[in-house]
Amino acid sequence: MNALMNLNDYPLAGFYDELIDSDHRPRPAARQLFDYLSRFTPAELHERRAAVDAAIMTMGITFTIYSDGSNIDRAWPFDIIPRVMAASEWRRVDAGLRQRLMALNLFINDLYNEQKIVKDGVFPLEVLAGSKNFRAQCKGITPRFGVWAHICGTDLVRDKDGTIYVLEDNLRVPSGVSYMLENRMLMKRLFPELFEQCEILPVDDYATRLHETLAALAPQENERPVIAVLTPGIYNSAYFEHSYLAQQLGAVLVEGPDLVVGADDVVYMKSIDGLRPIDVIYRRIDDDFLDPEAFRPDSALGVPGLMRAWRRGKVAIANAPGAGVADDKVVYTFVPKIIKYYLDEDPILPNVPSYLCMHDQERDYVLANLDKLVVKPANESGGYGMLIGPRATVQEREQFRQQILADPRNYMAQPTLSLSTAPTLVEKGLAPRHLDLRPFVLQSEKMYVTTGGLTRVAMREGSLVVNSSQGGGSKDTWIVEERR
Amino acid sequence: MLSRVAENLYWMTRYMERAENTARLINATSQVLLDLPRGASFGWDVLIQVVGLDELFREHYSAYDEISVMRFLISDARNPSSILSCIHNARENSRTLREILPRTAWERINALYLFINANATLAIERARRYDILEGVIERRQSVVGLLADCMSHDVGFQFIRIGRFLERADMTTRIVDINAAVLAPRQQVPDDPAMALLWMGVLKSLNAYQMYRRHASVHVRSGEVVNFLLKDEYFPRTVRYCLDELEACVAELPHNGPPLKLLRIAQRRVAGMRVDGLTPAQRHEYLDAVQADLARVHAEIAAEYFYFHEQDSAARQIAATG
Repeated sequence: MNALMNLNDYPLAGFYDELIDSDHRPRPAARQLFDYLSRFTPAELHERRAAVDAAIMTMGITFTIYSDGSNIDRAWPFDIIPRVMAASEWRRVDAGLRQRLMALNLFINDLYNEQKIVKDGVFPLEVLAGSKNFRAQCKGITPRFGVWAHICGTDLVRDKDGTIYVLEDNLRVPSGVSYMLENRMLMKRLFPELFEQCEILPVDDYATRLHETLAALAPQENERPVIAVLTPGIYNSAYFEHSYLAQQLGAVLVEGPDLVVGADDVVYMKSIDGLRPIDVIYRRIDDDFLDPEAFRPDSALGVPGLMRAWRRGKVAIANAPGAGVADDKVVYTFVPKIIKYYLDEDPILPNVPSYLCMHDQERDYVLANLDKLVVKPANESGGYGMLIGPRATVQEREQFRQQILADPRNYMAQPTLSLSTAPTLVEKGLAPRHLDLRPFVLQSEKMYVTTGGLTRVAMREGSLVVNSSQGGGSKDTWIVEERR
Repeated sequence: MLSRVAENLYWMTRYMERAENTARLINATSQVLLDLPRGASFGWDVLIQVVGLDELFREHYSAYDEISVMRFLISDARNPSSILSCIHNARENSRTLREILPRTAWERINALYLFINANATLAIERARRYDILEGVIERRQSVVGLLADCMSHDVGFQFIRIGRFLERADMTTRIVDINAAVLAPRQQVPDDPAMALLWMGVLKSLNAYQMYRRHASVHVRSGEVVNFLLKDEYFPRTVRYCLDELEACVAELPHNGPPLKLLRIAQRRVAGMRVDGLTPAQRHEYLDAVQADLARVHAEIAAEYFYFHEQDSAARQIAATG
């Protein structure tokens, strides 16, 4: 056994490690992986990593970062050591994710219609009233199948004791699925032998399932509905993903100015052959920018009249406008109750324990423990606008105290989790790095959960921030059938 | 097909074709210069004239020395037609086309960009120039081959071809025009061996030397070369060939009446040209007219297929009535 694979030297730091147990042995699902890796010298492994980096450059797997008005195209940071989970554990997660999205969609549809959950006193009116993502323009509408959030990216984390928690539900325009697919492609390209030896469940049916999900929404029975992916354009950080998904779906990639809504309320695209109707729009721009007639009038990204077309059922939009009402970190704290209310089931996947600043007692606790907690505003994403108490300065904590007091409804807090780690290839060999997991869940006529998801990893030692915009990378995620 | 996408496809190939043509032109010229007897040499400024960027060049450079001209044509980002700029632009265009093009096409275009981005400044010196520019040509041709074999020959494919052949026809007329002008004064001396070498260089810059020898003449004489490059029906870089291809592509497009009409004007002009007995000035006038024809074809295609997406109100009206 070579130096790299001497797991006794692997510096477990008191966190749950996804691949290595506390006795420095590979967990059962990761045994085949380590059998394989033990054949490599550290130099060989670094060679493979260099080959992966080259492949990423050629394949052009990038994301864009804005800085000072210009944008930089960065190669997608990728770690070649996969994150492995046992299929037996995954099946429970899969069931929990389905349960959650099903309940959330019932909840959104209720909010825009009868609001029974408010009337029954389970969900407070003041939370609804304070929601920035509740769209009055959507009231009275029931989209097809009663589903509003067709594509959901749910962030999961594992704590010290091994429990998997839901950290947040992304119901607006969750991104990252293309990287999940590309990561697998990279691994197959670089380590083909591995896939012969291990029973790794495939992930590549996502595009087919997404197509099914979207096609089922088409307003008219149509053998081949015309699907468009609506992107803000090339300067968006997720543009790579937009074009990637359009390509995989056989959909048209459109920008707002490519579309026009006719007097008949049908959405058309401007083609070389004149105007062609569109049936389904998979939009990757926020509600605010969707339709300058209905939302922000200064939006140049959207399509004037799009909401009108949607309300009249002439076009389907995924995710539906207004679906973001359930993508709110305060609403999040109610999800266990929401599941119980609509499905009469106990949640399979627990929430991270949370404190709501709108409640006096909980707020007092939060303010007294700012140095121990993570404080999140209701409506930010990408890790922005958060306070990580233990790492914050006194001034930063004071600033948050003021913000919370000024607008308590907008804040919630959670204990700082000890995110799990997994071995990651660094200069000296393998070292633990913190990670999370974002599976993608689809719902329209049927439901579907990706096998695994996108594992995001904080590449810097000790860091807990996994967002790609802030120095995070990713790993291929394996769901493995254990051999008897 | 979206108007915006059609336009991007068109420009992507125009840029790639321009990059390849420039690489070819530089390589052929560099080779010819090695063969010329001392004193028979022409200046590097001819290359700048061929690409039609004299003014821009003089803005940034003071002399037409080899290094300046090479830097300007190969790696200068201030020149939108430098090989590096063209490939960068083609890559940016193709980035918005990833869902249209076969996946490997994007990878190869991206690889081409990474290659030239890493090597452009090294190609300024003679020592590595030939290999690097050949590397550009080879990589670009692998994209052309991939698209021909792995992409549906649908309307989008026609826009790819239109971009390619318009750019190519334009380049061929320029090469013939400028060289004819530069070489004309020398033709007073009959059987000047340097003349044959120079015209050979012209043929080589269009990869046409071998085919010319096989199909046109074993002698390299100015009138015959010009005639071949303009009017040969079978060699894929002649003006005639490009126009015929363009006609076939446009025929596949909807509402193609106006661009087809303009193409036929250009075809008739080339067919009707009598190369022998023309004075250099007359020849230049002729070629100028052909270039103007090509510019009109471009403008008409743009108006017919690309600009629809800019005419929002018009589009909405059509939507209302249609």
